[in-house]
Amino acid sequence: MPRSLLENPRFNCKNSRFYYLIWGGREIFENIIYLDNAACTRLDEQVLEAMKPYFFDTFAVATSEFGYSMGIDAKEALEKARENLASKLGANSEEVIFTSGSTESSNTALKGVALALKEKKGKHIIVSKIEDFPVLNTAKVLERQGFGVTFLDVDAEGFADLEELKNAITKETILVSIQQGNQEIGTVQDLKAISEICEEKDVLLHTDATHSFTRLPLSVKELPVDLITMSAHTIHGPRGIGALYIRKDTPITKFMDGGFQEFNLRAGVEDISSAVGFAKAVELVTEEENRRLKAMRDRIIDKALTEIPEVTLNGSRDKRLPQNANLTFHYVEGESVTLHMDMRGFAVSTGSACFSRSLEASHVIRGIGGDHERAHGSVRFTLGRYNRMEDADAAIEAMSEIVARLREISPLARK
Amino acid sequence: MLSESFRFFLGVRILAEMEIDVRGQTCPVPLVECRKALKKASPGDLVIVKGTHPASKKEIPMACEAMGLKVLDIEDKEGGKEWEIKIQR
Repeated sequence: MPRSLLENPRFNCKNSRFYYLIWGGREIFENIIYLDNAACTRLDEQVLEAMKPYFFDTFAVATSEFGYSMGIDAKEALEKARENLASKLGANSEEVIFTSGSTESSNTALKGVALALKEKKGKHIIVSKIEDFPVLNTAKVLERQGFGVTFLDVDAEGFADLEELKNAITKETILVSIQQGNQEIGTVQDLKAISEICEEKDVLLHTDATHSFTRLPLSVKELPVDLITMSAHTIHGPRGIGALYIRKDTPITKFMDGGFQEFNLRAGVEDISSAVGFAKAVELVTEEENRRLKAMRDRIIDKALTEIPEVTLNGSRDKRLPQNANLTFHYVEGESVTLHMDMRGFAVSTGSACFSRSLEASHVIRGIGGDHERAHGSVRFTLGRYNRMEDADAAIEAMSEIVARLREISPLARK
Repeated sequence: MLSESFRFFLGVRILAEMEIDVRGQTCPVPLVECRKALKKASPGDLVIVKGTHPASKKEIPMACEAMGLKVLDIEDKEGGKEWEIKIQR
């Protein structure tokens, strides 16, 4: 069938038997408006193109200049990618190591510093209560291994309590880990104030920037942050690649044994193609794109708050990630909403228990003082490069109808 | 005898009927199972959902109609303790 005929509004092609014969009629589950970009993003074709030569042409392992030519070329590509990443942070190349993703980066930061300083300085670390699992669960593991861990409170918008931070730091404290932007509610911490406290108290600071890297300014020249977790999967890069910034002379011990790659801090054959892809993904994020995401985010928040009754915004109204909108639609369950949204062609996520793999309601919503009902009704919309303003409008229009219909049958709404 | 692909080409594909039994299951499981069946079904196929949860009886037709699917019948069974919904993919 000619494309022009399909696009002709006078030809109601989707209801015709002929259409189903040609196209299979499966479009009801295929035309998805993807609004879960915090979980993972669609790979940018330009990233794939940049990666391709390192699968098929320059596929050798990175070697020193005394090795063979293909290995030297691979090493050059790896170092160029590292340089691009480092320059985005205002860092030196030697201060960035590639990892398999943000989970490994945060594990390396927390366990690496803990191993390096447990004999020399102390066995106490501080993390916020609403950190993502790589930091939170690493801290819990260290706690079981005999480290003291302070889980720092946050306020109703998710901001870390800075007075509590000051008071929690002791002579034994070796590391503070507070994220830049929250994975669920999008709250952006006052990293400047946090880093000043840590600098004054002479404690290392790690920040998980998985959801904020390139979306928000972050310069190690301006902020005395010692370790930064980054990942490519949130910025239309490949999944399975991340990086860790480690400020020069930061005490850190390799926790995974093997070869001597990545300045002897991360064992394992380097993934050159993914490193190149990561650097390309970083290069492709622009300020204009971030402004566009912010405008779509604000449209979702404003429309939801004004057009749908009984909605609460989770996180800060202004100090939030440009791509994140998280709202609780009271008297409905997040799983039901995500299911109905999926059947209408929208991919969104929820902090509700059954949806999450942990089978517990969101620790973030509970961390900001929300009860189980607020967590169960929370829906996260996270935007990416391939979203348009019409997607934001369509999502809220669908939400409005779904929420109204679900409330009609909800026992919670009738109470 | 016409081959399946040739019959499909002529538009005389034999429609299938799928039955899913979610009796005893509560929200959102019946809708999850219904979605699974609809994904497997081909256009024109009949999906029959048998359940007991009252909210799902309202929720399933609502979701299907929003998708543009035809809800052919909603029938109470066993004196109103059970229900059966017929949907055409």
